[in-house]
Amino acid sequence: MTELREFPAPDAHVPDLGPTSRTFEEVAAPDRVSAPAPVRLPLRTRLTRAAPPYLFLLPGLALLAVWVYRPLVTTVQLSFFSWNLLPTSPARPVGFDNYVRLFTLPEFPAALGRTAVLILGLLPFTLVVPTVVGLLARRVRGRAATVYQALVFAPMLVAPVAGAAVWQWLLDPGGGLVNRVFGTTSNWLQEPGPAQLAIIVITGWHVLGFATLVVAAGLAGIDSEYSAAASLDGATRWQTTRWITLPLLSPTLSFLLLMTLLLAAQWSFPLVNTLTHGGPSGATTNVYYLLWDYAFGSFDAGLGAAAGMIFFLGFGLLALLLVRLTERLSFHDS
Amino acid sequence: MTRELLEVLTPVHTPSSSAVAHRESRLRTAAGHLVLGVLGVGCVIPIYWLYATSLRAPEDVYSLNPFPWPLSGASYAEAWDAVDMPRLLLNTTIMAAMIALGQLLTGLLAGYAFAAWRFRFQNALYLVFVATWLVPFQVTMLPNYVLLNQLGTLNTVLGVIIPNLCSALAVIMLRSHVRSVPFELLEAARMDGRTAWSTLWTVVVPNLGPALAALGVLLFVNAWNEYFWPALVLQRTNAVLQLGLRSFMGTEGNDWGPLMATAGSACLPVLLLYLVLQRRIVDGFVRSGLK
Repeated sequence: MTELREFPAPDAHVPDLGPTSRTFEEVAAPDRVSAPAPVRLPLRTRLTRAAPPYLFLLPGLALLAVWVYRPLVTTVQLSFFSWNLLPTSPARPVGFDNYVRLFTLPEFPAALGRTAVLILGLLPFTLVVPTVVGLLARRVRGRAATVYQALVFAPMLVAPVAGAAVWQWLLDPGGGLVNRVFGTTSNWLQEPGPAQLAIIVITGWHVLGFATLVVAAGLAGIDSEYSAAASLDGATRWQTTRWITLPLLSPTLSFLLLMTLLLAAQWSFPLVNTLTHGGPSGATTNVYYLLWDYAFGSFDAGLGAAAGMIFFLGFGLLALLLVRLTERLSFHDS
Repeated sequence: MTRELLEVLTPVHTPSSSAVAHRESRLRTAAGHLVLGVLGVGCVIPIYWLYATSLRAPEDVYSLNPFPWPLSGASYAEAWDAVDMPRLLLNTTIMAAMIALGQLLTGLLAGYAFAAWRFRFQNALYLVFVATWLVPFQVTMLPNYVLLNQLGTLNTVLGVIIPNLCSALAVIMLRSHVRSVPFELLEAARMDGRTAWSTLWTVVVPNLGPALAALGVLLFVNAWNEYFWPALVLQRTNAVLQLGLRSFMGTEGNDWGPLMATAGSACLPVLLLYLVLQRRIVDGFVRSGLK
């Protein structure tokens, strides 16, 4: 691997060349030192030789600069202004007013709390069930396991809006399959508690296949010799799973935990946007829906930007903490 | 790969000679089948119900009969009358294909740079790509909306495509794919006096064929199902399938048959693609270096 990355490696070679040439060509040394031209030429060569990787990165970096990092900076600026999105009315600088206002609004902490509930509610779908499925799939052999995997993966391919449409039909209080099969009478999407539950279950249904696939990839990467050795030593199946497989799977599981933490509100966004519009009475308004609502519902660009910055910093910090924690706690192969 | 994967997944457990252990292991296998079967069927029921409803005759829409019989295309006819389906299909295909191709190209170039060279700021630049996952769409949407407005691409499919031409996922995956190309090949190309550019196209790309195809399909599906950005850019035209579908969804008094037919049409291309290429998609995903 190191050899591979040394391929044209201009940076690594040039500094090496200096001392070596000096020690080997001591006779010619005065000549070299006196002439400045050769010094400039290697520099230019060095530049042209160092350029390729940066040139290959350029298209991607340029796109990200324009469409991700530039708007991020603009949003930081915008968060200190008051603007109603109309090109005709100028933005007015207001200092930290937006941030102050944000923390006095009751819906802000409420949306944070609901996002926490959403994340907790999704963990069974992104961690528990995929792990169980992954472990069980090892007992089931052959074609059947492929079929099960394909079935679990299928919902991931259904477009979020189409998923929303079919679930709206399944949960319809009048003719919906759920109420008629289970004998319930809930108006699922119009009552606060059931609406949040429905959003969690539908989002979970969408991401379950993805998480299962990630766990399968993680399990495939675990060397089977460890568990073979353990069972030779007389470990039971459960002991092998508990003390060998699960610890080795922990990096995969923490990756899924990180994704759930960062993306749960994103995953549920199209569902909230089409099914409940954040309602009933705000019961399904999570942080990203709140952002959307500030910008395009109440046309309060500054407040939306301020909320966006808070969430960006908060989630970034959370991700950093989690990565640090994982590095300390994870078990690694080798 | 699915097959390889299963081989790794199959228990290392050596069948014991005693009958009790044998029966126990069979019981475990049966339990495995049961749990996986119930879960798999549970996951697919909504999709099945979507198509079942869409194929019922209008007067049978509320029927609980699991088999839609007699079959009827009335819902599809109505949906295709109400929505300009061929145009939406065409627009969505163009959008998804352009986005997938663009992401493959930028991802390939960046992945090649990260995998074949060692250079200053390498890790920092890699982080620049990965960190985009921290920036939610809702934070960047306003400034991007304004910029698209200035470029005059609002309400055009082009406006959906341009901001989505680079994806961190493609860069990460292609970096690990290029790394899997034997170093000797790259070295041999260099000895032959090929430039880095021609090495990429004559050595690296031909070696990545299946992986590129799998990733391409994955990116295509992602773009096809994309909702946020088209919803914002195409507010006035609703020119792609997901938005045409949304315009069909009312809050009350839904016409379930045609709605399911529209949703079914919107998902069908992707589901067919998956049925045909299932092994490859799973393969590309599992081997993507998530470890």
